[in-house]
Amino acid sequence: MLTIKNLTKSYGPQQILKGIDFQVNQGDVITLIGPSGSGKTTLLRTITTLEKGDGGTIDFAGVQGELAHLSKNDIRTIRQNVGFVFQNYNLFNNKTTLQNVTEGLVVAHKIPKAQAKTIALAALKKVGMADYVAHYPSQLSGGQAQRVGIARAIALKPQVIFFDEPTSALDPELVGEVLKVMRQLAEEGATMVVITHQMNFARNVANKVVFMADGQVVEAGSPADIFDHPQVPRTQQFLAEILSNV
Amino acid sequence: MTTLALIYKFLIQILPAIQITLIISVASIILGGLLGAALTRAKLSSHWWWRAIANVYISVIRATPAIIMIFVVYYGLPFLIKGWFHVSIEGWNRMYFVVIALTLLFSAPVAEIFRSAYLAVPAGQKEAALMVGMSPWQAFIRITLPQTFVIALPNLANAIINLLKEGALTFTIGVVDMVAKAQMIVANNSGGFAFETYGALALIYWVISLAIDKLVSLVESSFQKKRQAIQP
Ligand SMILES: Nc1ncnc2c1ncn2[C@@H]1O[C@H](COP(=O)(O)OP(=O)(O)O)[C@@H](O)[C@H]1O
Ligand SMILES: [Mg+2]
Repeated sequence: MLTIKNLTKSYGPQQILKGIDFQVNQGDVITLIGPSGSGKTTLLRTITTLEKGDGGTIDFAGVQGELAHLSKNDIRTIRQNVGFVFQNYNLFNNKTTLQNVTEGLVVAHKIPKAQAKTIALAALKKVGMADYVAHYPSQLSGGQAQRVGIARAIALKPQVIFFDEPTSALDPELVGEVLKVMRQLAEEGATMVVITHQMNFARNVANKVVFMADGQVVEAGSPADIFDHPQVPRTQQFLAEILSNV
Repeated sequence: MTTLALIYKFLIQILPAIQITLIISVASIILGGLLGAALTRAKLSSHWWWRAIANVYISVIRATPAIIMIFVVYYGLPFLIKGWFHVSIEGWNRMYFVVIALTLLFSAPVAEIFRSAYLAVPAGQKEAALMVGMSPWQAFIRITLPQTFVIALPNLANAIINLLKEGALTFTIGVVDMVAKAQMIVANNSGGFAFETYGALALIYWVISLAIDKLVSLVESSFQKKRQAIQP
């Protein structure tokens, strides 16, 4: 459904992504793990066109082309078919919870207001935020804000939802409520790509784990492959470090 | 008559001219605001020559005293227009010249205010808007601009009050505004009661600037109120 080939990306002289191949199939729940600074965020941002790739191709939602030379239309098409959940939520500060969800439906997807509201309320209900429709982002806890962030993404029925460390800005006691929502989405068959340090989620919810280091995909496979039988020393070392920290 | 009674009397005489001041101020705020927004766009451009043009313009304008700006526009503009377009604008209502001068003066601080307010809106706001499928323009209009405006509001109020004070030089090219009116009153009294007359004038300016402050804090608190904690 989404295929990325040989993606490269530099910031200045520093090459951040060094030829990444990345494939997402319908219904996949892929977790992307790896040390900080390995390029995970940059990969998600480049796939979703928030950053421009230097090289590599994308095949997604009818767009086939080089990431460095996408037309405005291609970019719009890609953006309208992905969802993105940010580390620091990025809820629209000037909009209520309800408006945060309806805004994209009405303005970008031209869905009539009444219908958008129905869709938004259903999405908010799903994440347990239906009682907070009139709240502004500054009035929500981190966990609540992130659940609204998820509702905003799923309301658009994107083909793939990307999550960039959705729980790492949260107080520990709020992590659970967000993970629960994500787990539920996965069970309902949503296609998700999740950067996370929550190894339980990676192991138990994902069907595929991709380990990145230093701008490259070092190893990819089923959770059992990666967690129980990592082949590459770099993967073994990373898992040993992160699991010993728990 | 007591001083207070005199001040009151002069106040009543000056007050009708307030509409000149208000018309000039409102027109300059609107036009200067638009020009300032365009300058902000230039300052944030990725092309260095747009930034350079905006920076030079702003530094020149900021260094120009209001009275000089008014004179330059009043005496210089007709000359330039005649030279370039062979059109005479000398017969224009003099208020137009004041509005042009104040528009130029107002645009420079406004450009700086808009720019710093725009940069204070987190980049994630725009990115989130793009990720729900909005075009860059929709993201700007719906998400970034309203937040920029709220951040800019307090500084904008200061700039407006400043403009109002610079507008008190309008009389220098012969527009009969409140200052000119006050001067006439003093002249008619053979130079007497100058303190009471100008005191009345100062009072009017004070009330106007209080009103601007009040208005801005009302707008601000209406934004704030929306964001007060609601009990779930
Ligand atoms: N906008 C940017 N400008 C310059 N360097 C950046 C930028 N964003 C990320 N980087 C660099 O790219 C590298 C990878 O960052 P990132 O993709 O955020 O890694 P991760 O998400 O895996 O922690 C880091 O070295 C980071 O400093
Ligand atoms: Mg990251």
